[in-house]
Amino acid sequence: MTPARRVTPRALRRLPLNAAAAITFLAAVFPVYWMVLTAFRPTRDIQSETPGFLPLSVTLEHFERAVAADGFWTFWRNSLLVTAGCVLLALVVALAAAFAVARMRWRGRRAFLLMVFVAQMAPWEALLIPMYVIARDADLLDRLPTLSLIYFMITLPFTVVTLRSFLAGVPAELEEAAQVDGCTRAAAFRRVTLPLLAPGLLATSLFGFITAWNEFAFANMLIIKNQDDRTLPVWLSSFSNVFGTDWGATMAASTLFALPVLVLFLVLQGRVAAGMTGGAVKG
Amino acid sequence: MRRPHGPALWPYLLVAPTVLGGVLLLGYPLVRNLLISFQEYGMGELIRGGAGFTGFDNYRTVLADPVFWEVVRRTFWWTLVNVVLIMVIGTLVALMTQRLGRRMRVLVTSGLVLAWASPVIATTTVFQWLFASRTGVVNWVLVRLGFESFEGYSWLADGPAAFTVLVLLVVWQSVPFVAITLHSALLTVPAELYESARLDGAGAGRIFRSVTLPLLRPVFGLVLCLEVIWVFRCFAQIWAVTKGGPGDATTTLPVYAYRVAQSLHRYDLGAAVSTLTVLLLVAVLIAYFRQLLRQEADR
Amino acid sequence: MNIRPLGRTAALAAAVVLAATACGGSDDPKASGGPEKVTVWIMKDSVTDAFLDRFRAGFEAEHRDIDLDIQIQEWDGIGEKVTAALASKDAPDVIEVGNTQVAQYAASGGVRDLGDKVAELNGADWVPGLAEPGKVDGKQYGIPWYAANRVVIYHKDLFAAAGVTPPKTQDEWLAVTAKLNKGKVQGIYLPGQNWYTLSGFVWEAGGDLAVREGGKWKGALDTPQALAGMDFYRKLQALGKGPEDADESKPPQAEVFARSDVAQIIAVPGGAKIVEEINPALKGRLGFFPVPGRTADKPGAVFTGGSDLIVPEASAHPDAAYEVVKALAGEKWQTDMARTMSYVPNRTSLARAVQDDEGTAVMAAGAAQGRATPNSPQWAAVEATNPIKQYMTAVLTGTDPAAAARTASESITRTLGS
Repeated sequence: MTPARRVTPRALRRLPLNAAAAITFLAAVFPVYWMVLTAFRPTRDIQSETPGFLPLSVTLEHFERAVAADGFWTFWRNSLLVTAGCVLLALVVALAAAFAVARMRWRGRRAFLLMVFVAQMAPWEALLIPMYVIARDADLLDRLPTLSLIYFMITLPFTVVTLRSFLAGVPAELEEAAQVDGCTRAAAFRRVTLPLLAPGLLATSLFGFITAWNEFAFANMLIIKNQDDRTLPVWLSSFSNVFGTDWGATMAASTLFALPVLVLFLVLQGRVAAGMTGGAVKG
Repeated sequence: MRRPHGPALWPYLLVAPTVLGGVLLLGYPLVRNLLISFQEYGMGELIRGGAGFTGFDNYRTVLADPVFWEVVRRTFWWTLVNVVLIMVIGTLVALMTQRLGRRMRVLVTSGLVLAWASPVIATTTVFQWLFASRTGVVNWVLVRLGFESFEGYSWLADGPAAFTVLVLLVVWQSVPFVAITLHSALLTVPAELYESARLDGAGAGRIFRSVTLPLLRPVFGLVLCLEVIWVFRCFAQIWAVTKGGPGDATTTLPVYAYRVAQSLHRYDLGAAVSTLTVLLLVAVLIAYFRQLLRQEADR
Repeated sequence: MNIRPLGRTAALAAAVVLAATACGGSDDPKASGGPEKVTVWIMKDSVTDAFLDRFRAGFEAEHRDIDLDIQIQEWDGIGEKVTAALASKDAPDVIEVGNTQVAQYAASGGVRDLGDKVAELNGADWVPGLAEPGKVDGKQYGIPWYAANRVVIYHKDLFAAAGVTPPKTQDEWLAVTAKLNKGKVQGIYLPGQNWYTLSGFVWEAGGDLAVREGGKWKGALDTPQALAGMDFYRKLQALGKGPEDADESKPPQAEVFARSDVAQIIAVPGGAKIVEEINPALKGRLGFFPVPGRTADKPGAVFTGGSDLIVPEASAHPDAAYEVVKALAGEKWQTDMARTMSYVPNRTSLARAVQDDEGTAVMAAGAAQGRATPNSPQWAAVEATNPIKQYMTAVLTGTDPAAAARTASESITRTLGS
């Protein structure tokens, strides 16, 4: 069953290919592995001059410290709320726009699409000050929804572009057939296209999820006095202090921080890959 | 589309939320940013208000500064090196993945996804540490491999070396997106095409050129465009690892704009730099946009 | 120009768009008629939680009309955050800021002038390294809170094994450290970018980081005196395995020292507690001596680190905020804090409070030679990109010191002049 067991010329021929694959895998995974390894390693071993590549002595102390840190679960919840808000909003808004672009002909369509592309170039780090001033003058500082709105806008252009190409991958004829069968256009879209679009929706929402989940600068500057409204990236920096960074705890915190994204990704992987293709090819 | 459905108002209603969001949440801040770039705007003005207009003074200051032009050159160099590496490696990995057995394929794609999904904050920390001069794994391995000169080598103290570390980091983070997207695209190429090409006696290189490449072109174009934008705008990684140093060796335009604005509290100059950055990026990608629009017209 | 109303409409509209996903914002805390809620920002690890609990209880018992909300701030991105707080409409009422940062905030116009309270707070007696940066154009914006300066923490066993005693002069120091630096033992762990320590050496050699000439600041790392200071740093740094390209936080020097194969580190005395926490076996094995000077009659010049307290203009409770500042800067809590944290109190006359703590006593001895960074509002900008660190690494990895010093000085001049 497994080709590896039969030592045939074919297996030999595949050797360089599999070796290349192994190297790719190691290169991709090593930094992540190192992060997790360090998270489990006792502090005294972390600064050792000869690195150990295997988890020989394991401790949970860093995780205990990370989870015990003030407000861990509050920040977790905040990040989840902000991220979910931004992703859902972006999906709904982008889906409507993508549908209009991919399925309808109207004056201004090209200009609209061009603007969406240009919007991806927005210099967000530079917009920190104007955003701050606008939020301050509108009394929107210290509010999580403000963050959600900004992250929504950061992810929206990418979401529109990718959803558009996903939509283009679903043949319009399917919808039209459903309409012939007596569905309204909305119902046809809901019953026929939307299920086919699911992988695309997942793929794009993951992108939005990562972006919002990681963001630090706006979260740092727009949440000022309401400490309970801080998000995880801000919390992640709390393991640095005047005496230096607590590597073990930082790595443990990073691991916990990355966990939901990694799990989601690995679970959805097959679907995402399939989805990515669908439209991208025809984009 | 054989017949239009419903009133012609529909498409406009559907894009209205996007347009509204874009105007309020992006357009308006951009206009404010543009205004600031024409004002004298420092920490005092941010706190007390009452900034005065100074015309093109900020732009004159920025454009007359040789450091700015140095940074522009570096940004193009940075974008070129990264994007070429990302696209080449990404394509190779995608082609390789396509040829792998099922188990190896799952292994490789899982690895790529892990690298892709790891938070930037975490991976930048890990990279800094892998390259630490005394306790870093990279120096340790290099010395064991016989490169004695890397004993205690300070990667982040030397301009080109720090640049290399950042390129490695960005390439490592970006290749998965390219590889996975291209790999998915490759899957949609019907196997019969390859089969018939092979029957016609075409070699591997020939098949790649005349079958794979044309089919990949649209995806390739999109991915290339996105990577150019992302690498050009790349900020968090550079800021976390080197803060643009040593000297100015890793200062690209976004880092420069942030440093001018947030460290020197010259929000006005920072705004001018960021406006110029957007203009430059548009100029770089104008060719792609032209093509994109032509495609749209053909549909 | 009519931007503000537009901003409001824009944001309102945006809020409406979000309404579907929004989770409720928190309620306005100052709406009800109860006690005034005063928000205080304290930097992480400035003081212990136990001290803050004591202070909160003690203060609230004396001020029944004030409710203290003490918030701990992280170091990452703190500059942006304090700026954002000063510019906001509802700022925290008291903020702790580093003494090298306070001048820029004071100059921004976002901080309340407490000049009329100086006498009440016994300002004549303040530690100069804290009081001066808080003062701009004769107005006192920053109120000194605490100071700390670096001492040498040493491993007593390793000193005994090498048969050496704490040195009194820089020359002795090099000799002693060379003796200690044998086999597996590092004579001293001095990372290449400990620029606070370098500043001390530069001052001790008669140089300065920057000097003021005709109203303009100029980087001064390229003077012969400053170069002599750097040269001493280079010699000392070579007597251990400190990385040339990192500061004392990467890796944390306390963790390196805790491995107990390092004979000395340069740190604030509080660092010893962290070391003992990581490696309890070192308890009682750590000693302190002041950073040696050129001659034996007095310790070397050191950088005075520390914090000031500021009250933002945007504070909604300026009077209550001042009460908090007054208490924190007053004798009772100064004494308590100095004892708890091994700090130098904000007034020289309170120094006796810490006489009985070995590390703090040594620090207080060194504090007499304490100096501050150049008193320019732009100095914080120099620290933000820190050309001094880059200069140090350049010299330690073999660049010509004079040339590197010239580059760094030019960079400092540029930043201070902008």
